[in-house]
Amino acid sequence: MNGYGFRHAARMERIKLSSVRSTWWLATAAVVSMAAAGAGVGLGYRSHTPVATAAQILNNSLGGAIVAQLLLGALGVLMVTGEYGTGMIRSTFAAVPRRRVVLAAKVAVCGGAALTVGLVASFAGYLSGQLAIRGTAIPAASLGDPAILRAVVLTGVYLGATALIGVGIGTIVRHSGAAIGTLFGLMFVPMIVAGLFGEDGIQVGRFVPLLMLLNSIAVTSPVPGLFSGWISTLLMCGYAAVAILCGGVLLRHRDA
Amino acid sequence: MIELRELTKRYGDRVAVDGLSVRVQPGVVTGFLGPNGSGKSTTMRMILGLDAPDRGEALIGGVRYRDLNWPLKAVGALLDAGAFHPGRSARAHLTALAASNDIPGSRVEQALRLVGLSDAATRRAGTYSLGMRQRLGVAVALLGDPGVLLLDEPVNGLDPEGIRWIRDLLRGLAAEGRTVFVSSHLIAEMALTADRLVVIGRGRLLAETTVAELAADDDSLEDAFLRLTSQATDHRGVGAS
Ligand SMILES: Nc1ncnc2c1ncn2[C@@H]1O[C@H](COP(=O)(O)OP(=O)(O)OP(=O)(O)O)[C@@H](O)[C@H]1O
Ligand SMILES: [Mg+2]
Repeated sequence: MNGYGFRHAARMERIKLSSVRSTWWLATAAVVSMAAAGAGVGLGYRSHTPVATAAQILNNSLGGAIVAQLLLGALGVLMVTGEYGTGMIRSTFAAVPRRRVVLAAKVAVCGGAALTVGLVASFAGYLSGQLAIRGTAIPAASLGDPAILRAVVLTGVYLGATALIGVGIGTIVRHSGAAIGTLFGLMFVPMIVAGLFGEDGIQVGRFVPLLMLLNSIAVTSPVPGLFSGWISTLLMCGYAAVAILCGGVLLRHRDA
Repeated sequence: MIELRELTKRYGDRVAVDGLSVRVQPGVVTGFLGPNGSGKSTTMRMILGLDAPDRGEALIGGVRYRDLNWPLKAVGALLDAGAFHPGRSARAHLTALAASNDIPGSRVEQALRLVGLSDAATRRAGTYSLGMRQRLGVAVALLGDPGVLLLDEPVNGLDPEGIRWIRDLLRGLAAEGRTVFVSSHLIAEMALTADRLVVIGRGRLLAETTVAELAADDDSLEDAFLRLTSQATDHRGVGAS
């Protein structure tokens, strides 16, 4: 073998990601927050009149993704800024001087981990919602129903994409606090802006992450005017790609 | 061998390293001396490709750092700050870096033993004392059993026993034919460790000499060093009154 490559860098990143506590805290918190939201929604609807629909329960029990996206976004950010903040980045770049190989490895490892955690969290939200309405008149939502399965899976993918947006922003901004602030700002500010447009807001809103999540991705059928769940999810992946590419361009020329 | 050719680095309008051309030979310990802020750390970072020079280049065995096939097996570096994540254990830190250069896990244990951190290997590195952090940095440098070693102020924070350990280690590594380039502003320490000296001030080369030559004309090595750098010192304190 003549020289290191992506495979080696990815192994390094996997070890790094799994050997800091913050990873496990954030991942656990993401799953717990979705499970808790799901259970809360289910319990809340138990004695609700009129009797809730299956779609109502599902849509609301995935609502914990609002919190989970911030936690997994922070996970992605910290994977990069945690290294700049501590000086670790110099050890990393000394070991793997081709910096884009490092970035690609971070994207692969973080993407894989966040997608897995995101899917687990999403299923946890769905399941605890269903468990909480057991024994009531509310119809169960079955994963055999393609619309239900799609919503649950795409919510997981959305969460994975959020973490990758975090990696991109972290690479651009390099400072933990500033990068997490930027990420949260990008999640919430556009939603407020879309609200200012009133009726026409939907034209803007269908491109806004949080609105896509709540009205197109984590729902059985999207609100009219928004893209389908698949397109919204692809759009999120596109945002992640743009952020990562920008980071990759800056990474090349900046001093570490 | 390390070769610096007209290496130059500016930060804003401040020149940190100014047309530095030096060859660092294998088989001896070469001390890299200069007052605070003279550009030693900046030079080290440029050799490692961490900072990009504005002009000139740094070559290791004829190639640039970023073109090395297995960087950690060619060059071992200890940088000034603790270049690790405080939440990660020493073993995990070394294992991750080893994986990037296909270095076996057995070598991680060997490096931990060499620097005396085996017993503390599972502790989070953030809980280490300054001397232990420095030892972890040395372990990283030795990880790939490299032919070239770059150490920025390795004795910083070490106790007398640790200082002697570093000294013997570096001299041993050089005796095996490796290139050892070690920065310090402690002239007395360098006198004991180094064979050759590269002295810089304000980023410029002031002298490329041996310890014996430098001390020849003056009463002490310290006087010789201060005379040499007297025109090229940025940060000088004044006596208390
Ligand atoms: N990232 C940076 N941004 C701006 N200026 C810098 C940066 N790094 C170093 N400098 C400046 O470059 C000069 C050389 O600094 P350097 O750290 O290389 O000195 P040094 O010889 O290692 O000093 P010391 O003995 O104190 O460690 C100093 O004037 C310093 O202020
Ligand atoms: Mg320095």
